[in-house]
Amino acid sequence: MTLLEIKDLCVDYTVGADSLRAVDQVSISVAAGEAVGIAGESGCGKTTLGLAVPGLLPANATPTGSVQLLGEEMIGRSEDDLNELRWTKVSFIFQGAMNALNPVHRIDRQILEPIRTHEPNTASTAAKERVSQLLELVGVSPSRARSFPHEFSGGMRQRVMIAMALACRPSLLIADEPTTALDVISQSQILSLLGDLQREQQLGLLLISHDLAAIRRTCDRVVVMYAGVVVETGPTAVILGRGTEQRTAAHPYTQALIKAHPDLAGERVLAQALPGHPPDLSIPIKGCRFYDRCSVRESICHEVAPTLRPVAGTAHLAACHLVGGDVT
Amino acid sequence: MSVRYLARKVFSLAVTLYAVATFNFLLFHVLPGNPVRLMARAGHLDPAAVAQLKQLFGLDRSLPIQYLIYLRDLIQGNLGFSYVYRQPVTTVLGPAIRNTILLLGTATLLTIVVGVGLGVIAGARANSRTDTSVVVSSLVLWSLPTFWTGMILIFICGVWFHLLPISGINTLGYSFTSLGHLVDLGKHLILPTLTLALVNVAEFALITRSSLVDVMSEDYMVTARAKGLRRRVIVWRHGVRNALLPIVTATALYMGLVLGGAIQVEAVFSWPGMGLLSYKAVLSRDYPVLEASFLIFAVAVIIMNFASDLLYRALDPRVRQS
Amino acid sequence: MSLDERPGLPVEPGEDTLQPSSRIPWWRAVWGDRMGRVGLVLVIVVLALVVVGPMIFPFAASSFGLSANSILQPPSGGHWLGTDELGRDVFRQVLVGGQISLLVGLSATAIAMVVGAGLGLVSGYYAGWRDNVLMRITDFFLVLPTLPLIIALAALLGQSVVITSLVIGLTSWPQTTRIIRSQVLSLRERPLVLRVRSLGATDRRTIWVHIFPNVSPLIFANLVLVLAGAILSEASLAFLGLGDPVHVSWGTMLHFAFTSGAMSRGAWWYVLPPGIGIVILVLGFSLVGHSLDRILNPQSRGAR
Repeated sequence: MTLLEIKDLCVDYTVGADSLRAVDQVSISVAAGEAVGIAGESGCGKTTLGLAVPGLLPANATPTGSVQLLGEEMIGRSEDDLNELRWTKVSFIFQGAMNALNPVHRIDRQILEPIRTHEPNTASTAAKERVSQLLELVGVSPSRARSFPHEFSGGMRQRVMIAMALACRPSLLIADEPTTALDVISQSQILSLLGDLQREQQLGLLLISHDLAAIRRTCDRVVVMYAGVVVETGPTAVILGRGTEQRTAAHPYTQALIKAHPDLAGERVLAQALPGHPPDLSIPIKGCRFYDRCSVRESICHEVAPTLRPVAGTAHLAACHLVGGDVT
Repeated sequence: MSVRYLARKVFSLAVTLYAVATFNFLLFHVLPGNPVRLMARAGHLDPAAVAQLKQLFGLDRSLPIQYLIYLRDLIQGNLGFSYVYRQPVTTVLGPAIRNTILLLGTATLLTIVVGVGLGVIAGARANSRTDTSVVVSSLVLWSLPTFWTGMILIFICGVWFHLLPISGINTLGYSFTSLGHLVDLGKHLILPTLTLALVNVAEFALITRSSLVDVMSEDYMVTARAKGLRRRVIVWRHGVRNALLPIVTATALYMGLVLGGAIQVEAVFSWPGMGLLSYKAVLSRDYPVLEASFLIFAVAVIIMNFASDLLYRALDPRVRQS
Repeated sequence: MSLDERPGLPVEPGEDTLQPSSRIPWWRAVWGDRMGRVGLVLVIVVLALVVVGPMIFPFAASSFGLSANSILQPPSGGHWLGTDELGRDVFRQVLVGGQISLLVGLSATAIAMVVGAGLGLVSGYYAGWRDNVLMRITDFFLVLPTLPLIIALAALLGQSVVITSLVIGLTSWPQTTRIIRSQVLSLRERPLVLRVRSLGATDRRTIWVHIFPNVSPLIFANLVLVLAGAILSEASLAFLGLGDPVHVSWGTMLHFAFTSGAMSRGAWWYVLPPGIGIVILVLGFSLVGHSLDRILNPQSRGAR
């Protein structure tokens, strides 16, 4: 059964009289126990997409389309109905060094809180026992349960966040830049932890990250987003595989991202920063959104927006006129 | 809370109190308008009488000596002798302080409950219609002169409709023995309390609102929503609990303002407290009472600040343990 | 040639401005904000009435006879707002009294701004021990209860427009110092300011040319709020009988109304107008102040 089925999701932000479509006709599915990565520069709509799943978008955002979690439609659901699914079916992990834990409450209380809310019948001792197990699971000594968030390092705080996310045994875990702003060693440890937990607990994982290496390490499939649309999707091994010979990233944007990434560019190749920045989405774009920054653009790219089409087989798709052999 | 922290705080409290005492001395003994000179100016006293008065108040000594005498008297709890009441100032102050604490305590409690409540309602939904109306009505209330608000309430409740007593602390005589007297006291308390609360509520509502608005955009508030908590839990347990910190700090600072309001309210409603006492002292130029009143007001605010520092530390685990 | 125009010292555009919005004139920004616009209208209406009013309205002559039928008379065709306890025309008094309230408010604010902004600039710019000493003093005055202090000072120094202004001005500065100081502290670490200083610009020049223009919008926003507070302080002080007995302000009017028994006689026409004048003027200034504050700090206070 499909765990998460996002179909034709659009998210519009209104700022004053202006409107901006941050996510445009995005379709993604995550199977139970599958790990999917969403890649792209900041400002590509990745976070908006992630927040849309549990209905956490800010008040000035309007989602349309369909987001089904375990068969339940999330779009248009009331806040009370969403609350039944939040944390019990889908949990969210925020950026590592950010203020995602409440600074004035002890961490055991914060982990306990969703258990008490969603499983009011669980005995107090059992709930506390679960908190200890969760902390142990993520590698935090249960003796530190009575500490405040500021008493932990960034990496440890992120472990606590993960323990909290697993408190109500969700089926889907959305992690938005979970390793950003952590030191390199913590990054690696958190990624291993996430990967292990995902495999052991058969969790669905949606990993949102600009870090391609993190996605390659943890995810089965990757979705590359640019300016609110999906430009390429396929198995991680195919798109971000080890070494240039195995890698068949098809979209020029994905290729540019890989080149810009020191871990993926290969040892002898100097990482090349991707010049320019994503387009202003408040101005309508007729053709390909990557046109301005593309090094291999053709005249058609300016006129017609490309749609996703198979690159090799049905699993690997890319939205580029130069892919699939029908370039005019 | 560590002993060392407490010791440091108490030391700084002592320094501030000393500074206030000195400031008070400078104000009333060194400024050109000292009592005897003012009395001499007003009452056509002959030089011999002036000299006698100066001796009486110790003004014939040098300033440093006067200062030392002043400090000694202060430590001994001697605040001088009232010209008007013909009693030691401390005797006059006692009941006044009690009455003011009664009035201010009731009013501040009401103010905090209503003000923080309104601020939370507004701040939890920033820029909504409710929010805007809370902000605008707070600004209107803030613009009301306290004494004038009291006068208007006297018109409405006292002069036109005869609903409530408008002056003094009781009608039956000063005793707390029977329930009737307590009810009487309560009735007298209503209008002054209402006046103070009405004007001060605005300050608390605005502070609470802006503090909560800042907190509402924090990441942990999104976490709280993602956890599927009910809105009330999100706003109070996560939002207001964090927003309390700046509120505590600001509250201490506004105690000075609240005291200013108390003087006006007591003057308007003849509430026999510190405010009425200093108002009367102003009118009758009873300088020893005025001096003592100022000192007590200042000390009260400083102690409130000290308390709020400790409260802040108790509320914020980050400060508590660093 | 000013330092920042030297070749080899590129200055990025916009680097040295506080907010993009600080480039549009403040009254336009305030006018564009609904609250601000209401505030401006209120202030302008009161200003017009108070400044121009006494010259254009026909006032009935005051009948000083103290006869029972001329004092504390309710509004009539001759006296639009009735008469006071001495038989004077209340309407005229309100307009003239507004001038005094405004005058004291403005002069007190001017004093508070010079002291407050001056200390804030010095304290924030020099940091170090000067900052330490100044901040201790500022905090001390911040804690002192303002109205009791003003009362004590006024009772000791006497009653006149000048003394009232001085007393209120000299007790209203600490908040301004705090606000300006923290802004200056962040400004002095800006690349442009650091560069200018490392090139040997004098402190005075750095403060005036590079720091002051950047804090002036903030000073202005604060000024409007201090002004609102000063008008209220004057009213309270005058009500307590410490106003200038010759130049009667709104607060002094209310003092006379209260002490002359106008309350028990139900002379609402004597009590309402001066109070409403204070409320409208103070509300007008505080609306403008809050509006400016939101324009200058859009991220704080959660305003749009």
